[in-house]
Amino acid sequence: MNPINELVSVKEIIVCAGSGGVGKTTTAAAIALRAAMDGKKAAVLTIDPAKRLASSLGLKELSSEPSKVSKAKFTSAGLKPKGELHALMLDTKSTFDKVVLRYAPTPEQAERIINNRFYRNISGTLSGTQEYMAMEKLYELHADGGYDLIVIDTPPTRNALDFLDAPKRLTDFFESRVLRWFLLPYMKATGGIMRIANVAATTFLRIVKKIVGAEVLEDTAEFFSNLEGMYDGFKQRAQDVAALLKSDNTSFVVVTSPAEDSVTEATYFATRLNESGLPFGSLVVNRVHPSFGEPIDVTPRQLRRLQEGDERDRLLAKLLINEDRFRGLVHLEEKNLKGLARRIPRHLWVRVPYLQTEAVDFPGLIEIAERLFDGEAEAV
Amino acid sequence: MNIDEFLDPTILIVSGKGGVGKTTVAASLALVAARHGRKVCVVEVDQKGTLTKLLGGRSATYEPTELTPRVWGVNITAERALAEYLEVQYHMKRISRVFTSSHFVDYIATAAPGLEDILILGKIWFLEKGRYTEHNFDTIIVDAPAAGHMLTFLSAPMGLSDAVRVGPIKRQAEWLVEMLRDPKRARVHLVTLPEEMPVSETLETAAALDGKIGISAGQTFANAVYRPLLDENEQSLFEEIAADGSIDELCKAADRVGLSLDGRDLEALNGYAGFLQSRRDIQADHLARLRKGKGGVIDLPFLFSAGLALPDVESLADVIEAEVASL
Ligand SMILES: Nc1ncnc2c1ncn2[C@@H]1O[C@H](COP(=O)(O)OP(=O)(O)OP(=O)(O)O)[C@@H](O)[C@H]1O
Ligand SMILES: Nc1ncnc2c1ncn2[C@@H]1O[C@H](COP(=O)(O)OP(=O)(O)O)[C@@H](O)[C@H]1O
Ligand SMILES: [Mg+2]
Ligand SMILES: [Mg+2]
Repeated sequence: MNPINELVSVKEIIVCAGSGGVGKTTTAAAIALRAAMDGKKAAVLTIDPAKRLASSLGLKELSSEPSKVSKAKFTSAGLKPKGELHALMLDTKSTFDKVVLRYAPTPEQAERIINNRFYRNISGTLSGTQEYMAMEKLYELHADGGYDLIVIDTPPTRNALDFLDAPKRLTDFFESRVLRWFLLPYMKATGGIMRIANVAATTFLRIVKKIVGAEVLEDTAEFFSNLEGMYDGFKQRAQDVAALLKSDNTSFVVVTSPAEDSVTEATYFATRLNESGLPFGSLVVNRVHPSFGEPIDVTPRQLRRLQEGDERDRLLAKLLINEDRFRGLVHLEEKNLKGLARRIPRHLWVRVPYLQTEAVDFPGLIEIAERLFDGEAEAV
Repeated sequence: MNIDEFLDPTILIVSGKGGVGKTTVAASLALVAARHGRKVCVVEVDQKGTLTKLLGGRSATYEPTELTPRVWGVNITAERALAEYLEVQYHMKRISRVFTSSHFVDYIATAAPGLEDILILGKIWFLEKGRYTEHNFDTIIVDAPAAGHMLTFLSAPMGLSDAVRVGPIKRQAEWLVEMLRDPKRARVHLVTLPEEMPVSETLETAAALDGKIGISAGQTFANAVYRPLLDENEQSLFEEIAADGSIDELCKAADRVGLSLDGRDLEALNGYAGFLQSRRDIQADHLARLRKGKGGVIDLPFLFSAGLALPDVESLADVIEAEVASL
C-alpha cells in the first residue's frame, strides 16, 4: 500500500519535516486537502506559507485559530469534499502569550512578562521559539479541536534538526544558571537575602552595560525573575508534547528534494528521529525531475555534424543537448538518493515530480496529492 | 554600465532568502572584481566555508587567507567580533575569552536584538578602514546571513544609534550607519530565484532598503534562469514538425549522421523540451514581476553541472561582466 495513504487512514497527527524550501508546506497542505476530500475533518497548521498558497486556503493573515476553508473554494476548483478542511497560520507571538497566561501564578505576573521588552524580543529573535510554539499549537489543536487528522508544517529552518532540538534549547535558555549568575546584581533580592555577585560578573556587566545600556539589563533581569516558578509548567508541557509526538497517533513525514544538501539533511534527520524514539512514517522525495525515457547515445562527432547542418539538423542538435542536460540532472538526483535508501527502505518512499505548473492552488495541490496518495511505493 | 562604476563601492553586500544563490553570486562577484585588478576580501558570516570552497580555497578563518589570486576570505562570527572589540576598545583580553566559549552572545542578542549584526558590521568597518589587519582591500564582498529577515541585518545600526543617546557606542553605531548609507562605500545586491516567494520578498526588501532603511540597492540578480533552447525559427519549425506528426523529419536528420532514433526517443526529446518550456513560462511570470520593481535585473543562467565549482563560478562571472556592460 502507498505509505502516505496508510498513514492518513490510521494516524491523527502527521508532522511534515525537512530542510528549507523542499516543499514541507505544500506537502502538508496537499495531505490535509486530500484527507478532507476523502471525508475527514482535517486541519493543516502552516508556517509561513507562500502568499498564493495561503490565499488558496482562504488565509489572509496570521491567525491562532483555525478557520474552515469555505465550500466555495472547493466548488470553484470543481471539487466536492466529503469532509472539512480547516487551516491556520502559526502566530508565534500570540501562542507564546497564551502559554505565559496559562502558567503565570497571577494575571498580574503574566502581564508583567508580556509587557517586558526582553520577552517581546524573544518571539522575533530567539531560535527555537517558533518550533516550540508550533508544538504547543499542535497540542492544543489535538486536545480541543475534535479533528480526525491534524497535519503540521515545520518552520523554514535551514537545518531540519533545529526542529527536534528546539524545546530543549528553549528550556535550557530559560533555565541557564550562568545567565542568572551574571544577572544577579540586577535581580531584586528574593527571600530577603541579598547575594553578593562575584567580581567577574560585575566586570562583565560593566562592559555589557556600556554596550547595550542599563535598561536592557534591567529588562532581562526582570524577565527572568518574573519567570521564576513557571519552569515546572513549561517543562511539564514540553514532556506532554513529547509524549504526544512519540505516541502511536503520530507519524513523521520527512520531506526532501533530490538535491545533495537536502538528502544529506533528510538522512540525518531520519536517524535522529529514530534515536529520539519518534515515529517515522514516510519519506517524500519532492521536486524530482521527471525522466522521459531511456538515454539517447550521441557521439560528439554526430552532434557536431548536426550543428553544422541545416535548420532541421540544428533543431535536432539542440533537442539532443537539452535531453542530455536534463538526463544529467535525473542521473545526479538518482545518485544523491541512492545513499538514502540505506537509511530509509524504499517501500516507505513516495516521489512527487517537479510539476510543470505551480503548486499553489487547489488544482496544483490536488495534483501533488495524487502523487502522494496514489503513487506506487518504490520497488524494493 | 561601466564595470568600474559597478565596482566603485568598496563594500558589496549580497543578500537574499535562504538557498537562492547568495554564496554563488558572492563568489562570482569576487572573481569579477579580481579580474579588474581589485584586491578582494570575501566575508562569510558564521558559515561553514561554502563560499571559500567555491573559490577553490580552504575554510576561511577570522584572519584573512588567500583563496585564489587577489581574492582573500574571512569568516566572521559575532563571538569573535565581540572578543576583538572588547580587546581593542577596553583592553579586556581575558574576559573576552569567556565569549568565545559560551552562550553569552545568544543572551545578549535576545536582550538587544541586532547587536550580533552590529558586531559583524563593525568588523566589516574595520576591514574597510584597514584597522587591526595588515591588509588593504579594494573590494569587500559580504555574503550576508540568510537566517531571519534580511532587513534586520542591515537596519541594526540605525536601531542602535536611535536607542543609545550618548557615548562611544552611539558614535560607533553612527559610523556604521554612515558607511551603509553612503553609495560610494556600500551597495546591496539582492539575489533571488524566479519563483513566487523569493520574488515577493525581494520586491519588499528593495522597497524597504530604498525607503526607511536608506541604503542604496544595487542590482537584483535573478539566479538559475533557464536559458531559451531554440531561437524563433527553430521554435516554429519544431512546432510545425510536432503539429503535423512529421516526426520522421527528425529521424531523417538523425540518420544522416548515423544516429538512429525511434518513436520513444522522439517522445523523450519532446518531453524534456516541453518540461523546459513550462518551467520557463513560470519563470517568465516571476521575472516580469521582478522587472516591474526599481533598478536593474541581471539574469544568471541555470547551470546543469553536478555541484557547482570554480569553473562554474568563472562562467557566472563572465555573464555578470557582460550583463553589467549592457545595463
Ligand atoms: N545558477 C545556478 N545554476 C544551478 N545551480 C545553482 C545556481 N546557483 C546556485 N546553484 C545551486 O543552488 C544551491 C544553493 O546555492 P547557494 O549555496 O549559493 O545559495 P545561498 O543563498 O548561499 O544558500 P544559503 O541560504 O544556504 O546560504 C547550491 O547547491 C548551488 O550549487
Ligand atoms: N512538486 C513540486 N513541483 C513544483 N513546485 C513545487 C513542488 N513542491 C513545492 N513546489 C514549490 O516550491 C516552493 C517551496 O515550497 P514550500 O512548500 O513553501 O517549501 P517549504 O515549506 O519546505 O519551505 C513553492 O513555491 C512551491 O509552490
Ligand atoms: Mg514552508
Ligand atoms: Mg550561502
